Amino acid sequence: MRNQGASSTALKVLLAATLSIILATTVLLLFAADFRSALWQFFVEPFSSRYFFGNYIADTVPLIIAGLGVSIAFRSRNFNLGGEGQLYAGALAGAVLALHISEAFGPSAVWILVAFIGAFIGAMIGTISGLLKAYWQVSEMISSYLLSAIIINISDFFITGLLQDRTSNFQTTAQIPSEFLLPRIFAPSKLDISIWFALFLILFFQILSKKSKIGFELMVCGENEEFARYCGISVRAYNIAAMAISGGLYGLSGALLVIGPQGRVMRGFSSGLGWSAISVALLAQGSELAILPSALFIAFLKAGSDHVMIGSGVPSEIISILQAAAMLFITAQVLPGLGQRRRQ
Amino acid sequence: MNLSLMALIDFLRYTIAAATPLLFASIGGLFSELSGMLNIALEGLMAIGAFFGMAAAGLTNNIFLGALAAILSASLASMLMGLMTSKFRTNIFITGLAINMLAQGITAVLSQAWYHTKAVVAFDIPIDSHLFSSSISQLPLIGVLFSYRSMFTICAWLWVLISAFIIKNTRHGLRIRATGSNPQAVSALGFSPDRIHMQALIWSGIGSGLGGYALGLSISAFVPNIISGRGWIALVAIYLGRKRPFWVAASCLLFAFAESSSNYLQGFSAIPPLLVLALPYLVTLISLILAKREQ
Repeated sequence: MRNQGASSTALKVLLAATLSIILATTVLLLFAADFRSALWQFFVEPFSSRYFFGNYIADTVPLIIAGLGVSIAFRSRNFNLGGEGQLYAGALAGAVLALHISEAFGPSAVWILVAFIGAFIGAMIGTISGLLKAYWQVSEMISSYLLSAIIINISDFFITGLLQDRTSNFQTTAQIPSEFLLPRIFAPSKLDISIWFALFLILFFQILSKKSKIGFELMVCGENEEFARYCGISVRAYNIAAMAISGGLYGLSGALLVIGPQGRVMRGFSSGLGWSAISVALLAQGSELAILPSALFIAFLKAGSDHVMIGSGVPSEIISILQAAAMLFITAQVLPGLGQRRRQ
Repeated sequence: MNLSLMALIDFLRYTIAAATPLLFASIGGLFSELSGMLNIALEGLMAIGAFFGMAAAGLTNNIFLGALAAILSASLASMLMGLMTSKFRTNIFITGLAINMLAQGITAVLSQAWYHTKAVVAFDIPIDSHLFSSSISQLPLIGVLFSYRSMFTICAWLWVLISAFIIKNTRHGLRIRATGSNPQAVSALGFSPDRIHMQALIWSGIGSGLGGYALGLSISAFVPNIISGRGWIALVAIYLGRKRPFWVAASCLLFAFAESSSNYLQGFSAIPPLLVLALPYLVTLISLILAKREQ
């Protein structure tokens, strides 16, 4: 990664983005009843009003936060595929806390506690996969995916049972009172102050990974495990920490969605965000600062797909095709060597 | 026959039926695993096989053409994986992830375009018109066990036998195993590891495609989340079976047992069904940990 010039990396990312835009156009040409209006819905409508634009920017918040986590884990060659479950569990824990303590505390205390508990729950789940990798050599990809599947079922169980809002026709928890939701900053859209926090996290992790000893050692673990051990770095600890941070940021982004745009946890809350965050991290190519443009790009694809679904009836799942294409285009040289097996 | 015996036989039948898609996919995945490629796209390949297989079967009203379409579509997708990893040197895990995403997108978009829904697409396929069902179900005990979609169940076990033979006793199988343990030696002998990886991936495409199709046939429909983690469970079966075909097949039976238990337990009102749905994943995760620990 580092031996390529920054400009050639940027060029590759731009190429991948361009190719997925071309693919989007092709898919619309093939499947939209009215190609022209579908084009407008996909490319222009997300920017066409304060409401749409603000919601589009609001969608980048979880992508930035979770994407940062995936990116940090990549640094040490850890692959967290449990994002869906970690985000869901973080959101659910946050919602339960917000609904129960909102009377005893002021809003800002609730926000901090909810963000903390969401991050904590996510980190715990990530840690399990990290421990399994460190002590049992269980692939963190598979264990995190399976854990996530278990957690999604358990969360569904709580949402449709104990935590079900009896007054609602949807399978959802109760609504958090609006005074305990994060203040909106771009009316009438759902964009709230969590965007500032997301931007702060980008800077924080940029400094952590580029300037701190922790960031350096994390990278050494990823680049060459043998060498890291030789230098006295605890590879085990870093594997666990990487999964914990990644899970924690997934949980945090779930919690912020609950006290932000969503206000409650509906069944199927994560809706592919866990996977999208991986695309964001891949597009960013190991740079924390680049998480911002790549989250903007993936959120744009999502906004465009949603608008096309409402306007032209092309399923919003085209986002999966576009993300897959972007991933394939970009991965040619990301994480070199991860695919080759170490001899046992 | 008394009632509890009937319930037991029903349970066993369900277990054997539940093992069918897993057997196809995990034995297919075993080929790529042995060649040194951890194929995390089994899930997506199964979805592709299920969708295109059912679509073709619905169109032609012929379950064999459906099977052919399932094989072709899933192998094409796995060839795309092979092409990306060999020619463009993409990372195999990310490629697998992309294939899983692609499968989700393509099936939803085509389902909307062809059937005007992305929810349940029901097909009017005569699932009872099986090859062996009439003759085999006459046999005592075995007949009862196999009377669920007998043909695909029998094919799945034949697939296990044939694959085991290919892996253990043919030159092709030897090359695949050699590529997995020592690619340098294989290329020193003048074979291209990329080519062998590609062949192994095609095997996994064939297996997963048929597995997904068997799943579709079992309900005579395609639903968006039809695979619901079985591709991943099939992947773990490879590890639990220590990459040996018959042990992999046995692991599939274990996971099928977990699935049918979870189905069975859902009937009890005392146990919440959604919680029980987590059981197969839990059993899979625990066995993954145990399998690694014993090594």
